[in-house]
Amino acid sequence: MSLLGLESEQNENGDVRGWMPVTPFTASPDGMPRLATVAMLVDALGGMRSITASDPDWAFTADMSIHLLPAGPTELLQADLHVRRRGRRTLVIEAELLADGERPAGSALLTFAVVPRPEHLVNITINMTPGRRKMNANSEHEKLESNYFDELELLVTTPGVTTIELRPVVCNTVGALHGAIHASLIDEASASLGRSVFGTDAITTDLHLAYLELGRVGPLTATATAIGGPANGRLAASVDVRDGNGELVSTATTEVVAP
Amino acid sequence: MSGFGNPNEIGVAQYLLMMIEEIGDGTAVLPRTRGHFPGTPNTLDPSGRLGTDLLTCIIDSIGGMTSGLASLPNWIVTTNLMVRRAPDALIGDSGTGPLVLDTQVLRRGRSSVVTRVDVNDLEGVAVASSWMSCAILTPENGPPPFNRPVKPFEREVPDNPIFAAPPHEFFNLSEGERPGIAHLDIEQRLRNPWGILHGGSSAVVLDAAARSLVIGRSTVDATPEAIVTDLAVHYLSPGRVGPIVAVATSAGHRGPDHLVRVEVRDQGADNRLMALAMTTVRRLD
Repeated sequence: MSLLGLESEQNENGDVRGWMPVTPFTASPDGMPRLATVAMLVDALGGMRSITASDPDWAFTADMSIHLLPAGPTELLQADLHVRRRGRRTLVIEAELLADGERPAGSALLTFAVVPRPEHLVNITINMTPGRRKMNANSEHEKLESNYFDELELLVTTPGVTTIELRPVVCNTVGALHGAIHASLIDEASASLGRSVFGTDAITTDLHLAYLELGRVGPLTATATAIGGPANGRLAASVDVRDGNGELVSTATTEVVAP
Repeated sequence: MSGFGNPNEIGVAQYLLMMIEEIGDGTAVLPRTRGHFPGTPNTLDPSGRLGTDLLTCIIDSIGGMTSGLASLPNWIVTTNLMVRRAPDALIGDSGTGPLVLDTQVLRRGRSSVVTRVDVNDLEGVAVASSWMSCAILTPENGPPPFNRPVKPFEREVPDNPIFAAPPHEFFNLSEGERPGIAHLDIEQRLRNPWGILHGGSSAVVLDAAARSLVIGRSTVDATPEAIVTDLAVHYLSPGRVGPIVAVATSAGHRGPDHLVRVEVRDQGADNRLMALAMTTVRRLD
C-alpha cells in the first residue's frame, strides 16, 4: 500500500473518497492503472469504510468485483465508496472510479463479512477525523522506482501462471497474503495468458474474485485457464490461487483484452 | 424464515426442467453435483443459445442446491453471484443446445458457502464459468427433504401453457417507460420455496433492463443484437410484493462492450433495493 501512495478522505457520514497516482510503474499499456493497483485502492478504502459501517463489529473482505473502462492515460485515479447494504453478517460497498476527477474509469463492488471484533482489535485507535491524508505513513518516504510487480517480486513462470513468495511486504496484519496481492497474482496470470494467446500486449479489465482461505503458506501460485476461446480481442479466464501446500485460497474469473 | 415448500413444485424449476444428480455417495463435506439442462425450444434463442438471464437462473438453482447440501441441517440463501460467458460461444453454433453444469462447493464456512459452477455444451465446449456465495441460515421448519446422494428426478410440469412460453412471458415481464427499465409482476410460480421471489427472477428482469438500455429500445423480448457477457449481482433484500422494477444506467463502454449498472427494487415494499448488479452487455451487430 505504501508503494502506491494511496490517499483517503472520510466525510462526517463515514463515506470515503480516495486517490491513487498512476505512474509508468503502475500503468497498463493504455495508460490506465493496472487492475492489480485498483484492487489495492478499493480494498484499502473499503476496509476503511467498513470500520464505521460495521461498528461495533469488524469486517473483512469476502469478495470483490472490478470493471475497468478505457479512460485513457491517467495521472490520478479517484474512488468514491458508498455502503449499499449493512446486514447482520455482510456489508456491501460500491466504488465509483474516476480518471483525473472527470472521466468514468469503472466501478467495483465488494462484500465484507461482518464478524465480532477480534480481541486484539477491541482497543485499536484509528484516526477517522475528516481530512485528506496518506493511507500509509511510509508513503512519505517510499515510492515505486520500478515496475509494481517487480517490486512485489511477482513472477510469471509460464504464460498463465504467476507466483509470489510470502514476504512481509505482501502480507496483511495477520501474516497472510494481502487481499489485493491475490488480485495482483490473478491480474498478471490472466494478462500473461492473454499475451500468449493474442501475441500482443494484454490488459486485464474485469475481475470477479472470491476469497476462500488465508494464504499463510508460501509460495502462492495463480493459475489462469481460458474459459473457451478468444473472440474479438477478448479472452475470459478462470484463475485459482493456491498456497504452498496446494490449498485453494482464492478463485476468480477475469476478462483480458488486447489493447 | 418460513417453511420450505415442496421442491418438486418450484415454478422456475418446473419451467427450466434441469435434472440434477449428486456426484459420489452423498457424504462429501464439499459436495459436487451435475446438472443437465435440456434446453427446450421456448427457453433458447433462435440460434439455440441460452440467454444470460436463464443461464443465471440455472446456475443459481444448482449452485444454491449444492451449497445447501453442504450446509445441512441448515440451508442457504444466495447473497451474490458472478457469471462470465466464454467469448467464442456468444454467436454461431458454439455453446448452443442442451447444457451440462458441473458444480463444486469450494468452501463451507461457519456462516457462508462459496460454490463454483462451470457450464459446457454437450460437446464439452465452455459456455460460462461462475461462482456464487450463499449465507447459511436456520430454516424454521427444517431444510428441504433431500435423500443423499441426490438422484435426478422428473419434475411434473403443470398443465398450463405458461410453462411452455418464452422467458419474458413466463417471468411476467413488461417493458418500462423508456429503454433501460423493465418490470416484473410477481406470480406464485416465480416464488422460491421460502415464498419470496426466486433469485433467478431478479436476474431475468435486470438482464432485460440492461439489454434494453444498450440497444436503446424499450423491450423485454429476446435481443439478437445484444447479450450480457458478464454479471456480478448482489442480492440485498428479498422481493416479496412487487411490482419489481429494474433500472439500468450506463457507466461507459469499451468498444461493443457496455458496462451497465442495474438496481432492482420492490416497488410494493417501500421501493426497497433488492439487488444491485454490474453487468457487461455486448452489442453483436
